[in-house]
Parts: sequence; C-alpha cells; structure tokens
Amino acid sequence: MKLTSAIGMAFGAALAATGAVAADFPERPINLIAPFNAGGGTDLLLRGLAPHFEEAVGENVFVSNMSGGSGTVAASALQGQKPTGYQMAYMSITVSTIQPQIKNVPYGVDSWTPICSIAASPTMLFVSNDSPFQSMEDVVAAVNAEPGKYVFGSSGPGAITHLSMVSAFSGLDLMDKVKHLPFKGSGPAIKELTAGNIHFFGDTELLMKRGDFRPLMVFNAERLDSFPDVPTATEVGIAAPLNELYLWGGLFAPAGLEQGTVDVLAKACDDAVHSDGFQEFANNSGTVINHRGPEEFNAFFRAQYDANKALISAAGL
Amino acid sequence: MLSSLPDAFALLFNIEGILVLVLGTVLGIILGAMPGIGSTVAVAIVLPFTLSMGQAPAIILLLAVYAGSVYGGSIAAILINTPGTPQSAATCLDGYPMAQRGEAGLALGWATVASVIGGLVSAVVLIFAAPELAAFALEFGPIETFALILLGMTCIVSVSTGSVVKGLLSGMIGIFLSLVGGDPITGEFRFTYDKWQLYSGFNLLAVVIGVFALSEVLIRASQKVNEVSDLVSFKGIVLPKLSDWSGRVRNLVKSVLIGNVIGVLPGTGAATAAFISYAEGRRSSRNSENFGKGEPDGIVSSEAANNAVTGGALVPTMALGIPGDAITAVMLATLTLHGITPGPKLVEDNPALIGAIFTGFFVINLLLLPLGILLSRIAAPVLRVREAYMMTAIVLLCAVGIYFVRGNPFDLLVMGLAGVGGFILRRQGFPMAPLVIGMVLGPTLELTLRQGLILKDGNFLAFFQSPIALVLIIAATIALCLPLIRLGLARTRQVAQ
Repeated sequence: MKLTSAIGMAFGAALAATGAVAADFPERPINLIAPFNAGGGTDLLLRGLAPHFEEAVGENVFVSNMSGGSGTVAASALQGQKPTGYQMAYMSITVSTIQPQIKNVPYGVDSWTPICSIAASPTMLFVSNDSPFQSMEDVVAAVNAEPGKYVFGSSGPGAITHLSMVSAFSGLDLMDKVKHLPFKGSGPAIKELTAGNIHFFGDTELLMKRGDFRPLMVFNAERLDSFPDVPTATEVGIAAPLNELYLWGGLFAPAGLEQGTVDVLAKACDDAVHSDGFQEFANNSGTVINHRGPEEFNAFFRAQYDANKALISAAGL
Repeated sequence: MLSSLPDAFALLFNIEGILVLVLGTVLGIILGAMPGIGSTVAVAIVLPFTLSMGQAPAIILLLAVYAGSVYGGSIAAILINTPGTPQSAATCLDGYPMAQRGEAGLALGWATVASVIGGLVSAVVLIFAAPELAAFALEFGPIETFALILLGMTCIVSVSTGSVVKGLLSGMIGIFLSLVGGDPITGEFRFTYDKWQLYSGFNLLAVVIGVFALSEVLIRASQKVNEVSDLVSFKGIVLPKLSDWSGRVRNLVKSVLIGNVIGVLPGTGAATAAFISYAEGRRSSRNSENFGKGEPDGIVSSEAANNAVTGGALVPTMALGIPGDAITAVMLATLTLHGITPGPKLVEDNPALIGAIFTGFFVINLLLLPLGILLSRIAAPVLRVREAYMMTAIVLLCAVGIYFVRGNPFDLLVMGLAGVGGFILRRQGFPMAPLVIGMVLGPTLELTLRQGLILKDGNFLAFFQSPIALVLIIAATIALCLPLIRLGLARTRQVAQ
C-alpha cells in the first residue's frame, strides 16, 4: 500500500507539473459501483481493475456493490447524484441500453457522462456436446420440422443470454417456433442445457472453456481466432442489426461531469486498463479488453442505444 | 483422487494453508453469529483477500467462512432468537425456548454436535460419491424442483406453533412479499408502484432480521420492567452426554440425509433443507410433542441438515462446474480468476487442487467443534452486559449487516417496517417461521411452476408423468392431509364414546 501511495504521489506530482487538469481532483477516495452482487462477473472485474485505477489516479479507489433489479437499482440511484467524479458505475449493455428502454426507470440515454469502455466480448450460440446439432443449418431444419418442440434458455428476461437467442431466432425468422425458458442466473440454465431440458443457450466465449458445449455461431463481425470453424451470424444469414451482439461494459458517471474531471478519470482508466497487472487479470479471467476514450465511448453508447431498439422489439420486451 | 492425496496434502498442510483453515473458520463463525450477516455476505467480505492468494488457500478460505458461518448462525438463533441467516430460522424454534429455560449451553452443544456431524458426513459423501450424486441432480428439472418445493411449503403447518390458520396466513404474507419486484418470466415489475427502490423486491435478509430480531427487541421493550425476564444465562457450550443421544440417533441420521440430498439439488438451499428436516423430525421423532418448546431433536433436525447442505452444494459445483447458489457461484468465479475454468472436467484436470479442497472441507468441519467451544467461552461475557445495551447492540449490528448486503438504504426501511409488522403479528399470536418459509420458497415455487408449464405447453397434468415429481407431490399431499385424518379419527372416536 505504501508503494501504491508513493507511486500515486509521484503521479500526482507529474500531473500537477503538466498543469493540464483540474488541479484539485481527486482529493478524496473514488467509488466504483458494481450494480450486481459481490462475487459476480462485474464485481470481480471491478475488483481486478480497482488497484490499477488507484495507482493511475493517485487516490484511493474502492468498489461497492448495490445490486438488484437487473442492475437498475444502482443505475437509478446514481443518476440522481451530483456529478462529482467520485462515483462511477460499471454498466453493461443491458443495464445502460436495454433496461431503460423496457422498464420505467428514472434514467435514459442522456443521464450519463460515459468515461471509458473496458470490456466487450462477442456472444455465441451454443449447444451441449451430446446435441445432434452440428451446424445452424441442422438447427433451422429441425425447428422448422417440429415447431414448438425446441427450447432456448436464458439467465433471465432481458439479459444478454436472452438477447443473443432473440438475435439468433428472430434473425432466422424462427422466433414463433421456439420456446424461451428463463432461469434465475446462468448456473441453473447451464445445468438444464447439460440435462437436456433446454437445447440452446447464448453467452460469451468464456463458457466454452468448460469443454462440454459446442458453439454453432458467433455474433461478431468476423470469425474468432479461437474458433475458426464457427461461422458468423452474417454467414448464417442473419441481417443487421441482429448479426452482431457484444457483452460490453464501461464506467459511467452521472450526466454533466465537468470536462477537466472527465479527462483525469479517462486518463486513469486508460492507464489502468493497459497496465500489465490488469492485462494479466484479464487474461486469467477471460475478459476481452475493449478500451474506448470518453468521446468514442459516448458515440458508441448512443449508437448502441438506438441499434438495440430492434432487438427489444424482436424480443417482445 | 486417492493417488493425488500426497500432492493435495502438500497444498493444504503448510503454514499458509493451516492459517487459512483456522482463521477462516473463526471468521466464519463470528460473521455467521452476527445478526444480519448471512453466509453470502460473509463470503463476500473475505472475497477481496482471496485475489492475492494461491488457488488452494483462496478456495479453502471461502469454504471455511462458508461452513463456519452456517454453524455460527445457530449461535445467534439460540442465544438471542435472531437467525443470523434464514437457514437458522428453524433452529430458533427450539433453540431459543431451551435457552430461556436456562439450558443455552446445552442447546448450543446439541447444535454444535449436529452441525459437525452433518458437515463431516457431507464431506465424506462429497469425496466418495460426487459424480453419482451430480448425475442425480441432473434428473431434477424444473418440474421435479417444483414438487420438492411444494413439499417444503407443507412445512408451514409443522412450524406453526399455536394456530395453524395463523401460520398459513403468515406463510401467505411471506409469499406475497416475495412476489414484489421483477416477474421472473417476463421481467415486468409487479407491485412496485414505479418506485425503483422496489425493483429488486424486498431483501429476504432484511425481512428475516426484522420479523425475528427487531420484533424481539420491540417485544422486550414493551414489557414492564418487572416483567422482563433476564437474558439467557450462558457460560459456554455444554456438550450433550452420550446417553442423551439414546432415541435421537435416527432423527440425526435422517436430518443429515435430508440436508445432503437437498444440498445437491441446485437452486434449493440450506433454508429449505432445514425446514423440511425440521418438519420431518416433528412428524417422526419420539419427542415430537415437545417440538417448539425447546426440544433438542428440533435443534438437531435443523442444524444437522443445514450443515449437511454445505457439502451437498459442493457436489454439482465441483463435479459439473454448476453453482447451486450464490456462494458456490462466488467459489467458481474465484477459481476462474485463478486461471481454472470450472466445468465437468474440473476434478479430472486438477486432482491435487480438488483433493486439497475436499480434504480442507473435512478439516474445517472437524475444526468447528473446538473452535465453537473456544469462541463461545470468549463470547459468553458479552451476553452478560445489561439488556438495554445488548438490545441496542443487536439493532445496530442488524442495521450495519443489512446495509452492507446491497448498499441500499431502502433495505434499512424494509428491516424497520418488518420489525414493526413482526411485532404486531407476534403480539396477535402469528408465528414468524411460516413467513420466512413463504418468502424463501415462494419465488422458487413460482419460477419452477411457470417453467414447467412452459415446457409442458400449459398442461399441468404432465407434471405427474415425472416419477420423482409424482412421489414428491404424493408426499406433500400426505403431509397436508395426515393431521386432518388424525383429527377426523379422533372426532369419530369421541362421537363413538
């Protein structure tokens, strides 16, 4: 800890020397909010990032959890706060772009000052290893032959696992012929995929490491290096905007944060994400780093907010 | 597995490993004993420390805190009628009356021995039968789980001390409270009145703490000074004598089995196991008429079952890489962070690590006995402070614990309201355990019922085609009807005379 603060002070001195930023930020600890429970993917990502963010920003950084309502409770609480830069939440595609468009929550596209994006992983459609389906052609033929027989699972309505399946089956015009079985979290859904009660599931590449699932399609612009034989959704015949779907997330502060503070935080985020320590953490945890600065992230976030309208109407949410 | 034991022991029995085992268990017991800090929170508290540890110590620390906190929950349940976790709510039912009788030490003794035996047996089962049991868990789909939860719901009748009608009403209140928040199938918000604070529903722990702990404080505060009974006298754990066990072993064995089996099934959990085991104990124990009045068998039923769940829950977690609850999910996430991907090949690919984890889990459960006795000696003087201070401390601890869980000040309001509501209901003779059952089991009952109906295209009769579900539904029906039939028979006899 001494080393961290020493580095912090040195960094602070360097910043002061350049004189390019708001001189008195930060002067107290910064809070990163995980809108989900401790121990979940988002929580662990933030806890992995926090020490490097701390080193980069030169002030203590702590992670707190405020869970509930698929992440909307934390986002709703944060949007009403004064934009000081001392509170930021890590929000995913669903918390920031899906939930506010399907639920009556007090925040929307204009409630935030995007700071930086951190991660983005393409989603995949997969089946159990002992499934008869070897390709998406098999799936399409089987679903058409027996409408109403096949079931896809999700970790909950409106979750990325749900949206990926909607992209797949809506994109292939099969939405009326398959059933959706929502679960509470990915764990029980994966169990039913193993047991054979559900036939399809969608999530990021990370789940593939388990070794008992077979990917059939990836919602990415091009094929993944790790799965060169798995076709993209476009190749399978799914048209834009349903052909690409990423589980992305980044740091958001409440709207109206002053530019000087944004610059300090964005610089710290950039340094933290590209630090050796965080790169190693990302490698271990299977996090696909995707860093964007404030302007770029803002444009991406707004584009996604609009693009996901198609997804929402296809899902019937 | 056996051939990797030397490597496993090397991973476990070094200075770091032993320190983690002992400190983790101590910390788990203390956190579990604090009202408002459940196992999930206890595990979350130590999670950041695991990030800088090796693979084996990291998981062992989480396991030690997990097992320790499940046991620790019984301490607060017995001594101050405050279940630290929902899974110790059934322990209150007999533990607290026993403590009020002046047998707090003995009540904790029963709880300790039952917990240790439940945990140890579950560790042995985990080590030797994980793959077979995991296959059994896969047989339990939504329909089978629904039937099991239905059986669990019938426990409301058994834990309704006093009036069964009031117990059922209390259970209904619990179920209603669980309905607030997002609909599990459509995601729409129910009963939230556009208040985002309600989007995630009522926090279970906040309600449990409110209706048990706060209402207890209010009840004591409302009594006239000369009516106030002394707080329980407690000088340390008194272990039950071997001869005390005569006639109770069958109940212990059954409770351990129930805990193990239910623990293996993902999505059911320790509270379900404790209540089902308690209800079964009340039905079949030789001392069943004493249940609810401070009967050791009641404590044994609850504590042996909820500690047996810990080993059971690790079965699908380790054998299939599928977490059964929030705590095992944290463990799998921790493994991932340490570069190990959980999955069906977890055991095969990491025999030494898994061997160390399983052995460590066994040792943790052994440690519960000496550490429990030691900690209770240290804690005993704390209970001798004046009642007013004690009650204030309980309220403060509850508030801190509840705020910590989700960082949501609204949960404090819920806890307060639940306290007042619980106080009013208890004054009118409503038992609180059914409310907890309703709130714990309600969401799973609803989710699995609707999942089953989606799978069977709305045909409820198809539920009976599953043999497992059929047996469980019949068992639930018998459990509900048996008291009625007995009552009917008694009346006929009366009429005949």
